[in-house]
Amino acid sequence: MTLQSTLRPLRGVARRLRENWKLSTGLVLLIGLILLALLSPLISAAVGQGTDPVAIAAYQKWLRPSPDHWFGTDQFGRDLFAMTIGALRVSLEVGAIAGVLSTVVGVIMAFVAGYKGGAVDGTLSTITDMVLVVPSFPLLIALSAYTKNVGIVELGLMLAAFSWPFAARTIRSQVLSLRARPYVELAKVSKLRDLEIIAYELLPNMLPYIGVGFASSALGAIFALVGLEVIGLGPGETIDLGKIIFSAIGTGAMTLGAWPMFVAPIFLLTLLFAALNLINIGLEEVYNPRLRGVAGA
Amino acid sequence: MSARTKDIELHDVEQRFHARGSATGFLTAVHETSFTLRSDPPHIVSLVGQSGSGKSTIARIILGLQRPTSGTVTYGGKDIFKLSRAEYDDYRRNVQPVFQDPYAIFNPVYRVDRVLRTAIKKFGLTKSKARAQELMEESLRAVKLDPAQVLGRYPHQLSGGQRQRIMLARVHMLRPAFIIADEPVSMLDAQVRKLFLDILVDFQRAYGMTTLFITHDLSTVYYVGGDVMVITKGRVVERGPVAQVMHTPSHSYTKMLLASVPQPDPDKRWTDRIDIEEADREEAAPEVPTSDPARVPRP
Repeated sequence: MTLQSTLRPLRGVARRLRENWKLSTGLVLLIGLILLALLSPLISAAVGQGTDPVAIAAYQKWLRPSPDHWFGTDQFGRDLFAMTIGALRVSLEVGAIAGVLSTVVGVIMAFVAGYKGGAVDGTLSTITDMVLVVPSFPLLIALSAYTKNVGIVELGLMLAAFSWPFAARTIRSQVLSLRARPYVELAKVSKLRDLEIIAYELLPNMLPYIGVGFASSALGAIFALVGLEVIGLGPGETIDLGKIIFSAIGTGAMTLGAWPMFVAPIFLLTLLFAALNLINIGLEEVYNPRLRGVAGA
Repeated sequence: MSARTKDIELHDVEQRFHARGSATGFLTAVHETSFTLRSDPPHIVSLVGQSGSGKSTIARIILGLQRPTSGTVTYGGKDIFKLSRAEYDDYRRNVQPVFQDPYAIFNPVYRVDRVLRTAIKKFGLTKSKARAQELMEESLRAVKLDPAQVLGRYPHQLSGGQRQRIMLARVHMLRPAFIIADEPVSMLDAQVRKLFLDILVDFQRAYGMTTLFITHDLSTVYYVGGDVMVITKGRVVERGPVAQVMHTPSHSYTKMLLASVPQPDPDKRWTDRIDIEEADREEAAPEVPTSDPARVPRP
């Protein structure tokens, strides 16, 4: 097998990226945000010059934005630039954990239900629908009232418990349409086992949908946590983007001239939202030709 | 080879599907159908009928892809849904399909070789890589394909005729006693269609494969010869050698089908038209009650 033929599918991906500006813009934005979050320890060290810039009373409180402190400091004298980037990292981590967990659960539920059909499908789909209509936000508020000092992983678990049905539903409907494809029947008469058919015939064709499912549940989890934090009901002492907005509101930061405390987290959340939605829309356009602008585009 | 003498028998096979809105709550796709496919001597049996007449359902049932509502399908005298492991392997090896749609039959993410390699692996044709390559090339040549032009390609890079012939190459490699060909040429154009049918007929002669050839097109039935069964509304209404059924059809539906074949002759243009209203009325007519009313539960 030549190198050229191995690279062919990759070239297809590159071409799709080039042809769909939404997908490529979304990916660039998302990768930028992830890089920023990954660099947060370095940024923190650079700002702190040997000390922890987000320790209580590291600096004077309510400093205006300056070359030393790009976003100023908050009510405890913490550097807001380092804090915002750190919070972005926390938000992304929670989103990634909740996204992975709910995608895994959703994919398993969807594949078993969709491929097996019949009574199995009936039972699993009913469970999925029941969790789907559970009012998750009030429940999360109640849950977080009982949980103090929870870590990022526990937060992700809590959020994933309510976000997996969305992934399960979209993927199940795709499995239903894929399992009736002739190539699945050919696989059956070629003696492939059920698991082999799911793993080798269905899964590769499902990847874009699984990607979309992951993106939406990650986004849902990030925003659920922000929602909780903004109204001051966030669990534990984790500082995510929502927590910064909450303190900005609570301390009247805008009137004290500390506008970045309010604007920076909202800007980052908007970017994240835009990036993930562009990716979602782009992927759908790429894999659903009917949505493409021009025939053959 | 003892496997060659096994027959496929359908006994009173009936298939109902749930259908909301119909009087009985279900739709009967296949009514109490019985027939036998004999592998000795190998021959071609055509199953002809219009869309929705139940012919594809019969193919799926014989292939074990669908469990009939009642009745049994036996292979070598044993119910195909109750086979032991060894019997199942034998059945799978000897009953193989060619499907209708040459586009949907390939998983778009893989190269077309995979269809052949999977068959080699799953049916244990050979363990050696070189021998597998040889087998694939030999079978592709048998269906008049150039291995160099086909292997390593993705399905979308090949034409419908090439893809359908790859499915024939798969059959050529496996040499099953039975080919269940469900409308294999309906999506091919005229020359490729003839090439495909010629290969199918050659396989029957050269390798002793019995073919159940399912089609809606009577001209292809005429071309492949052998026996023919005419199916309408889930019932086989006429069966016999092709020449006899074509020349002296006994059932009114067969006559209608024969009259619907366009002739490539300007002097034989249709002058009368099929009475659409009458045809529709016949289609919309309620299901003919079966001879035994107890069999169809009424709500």
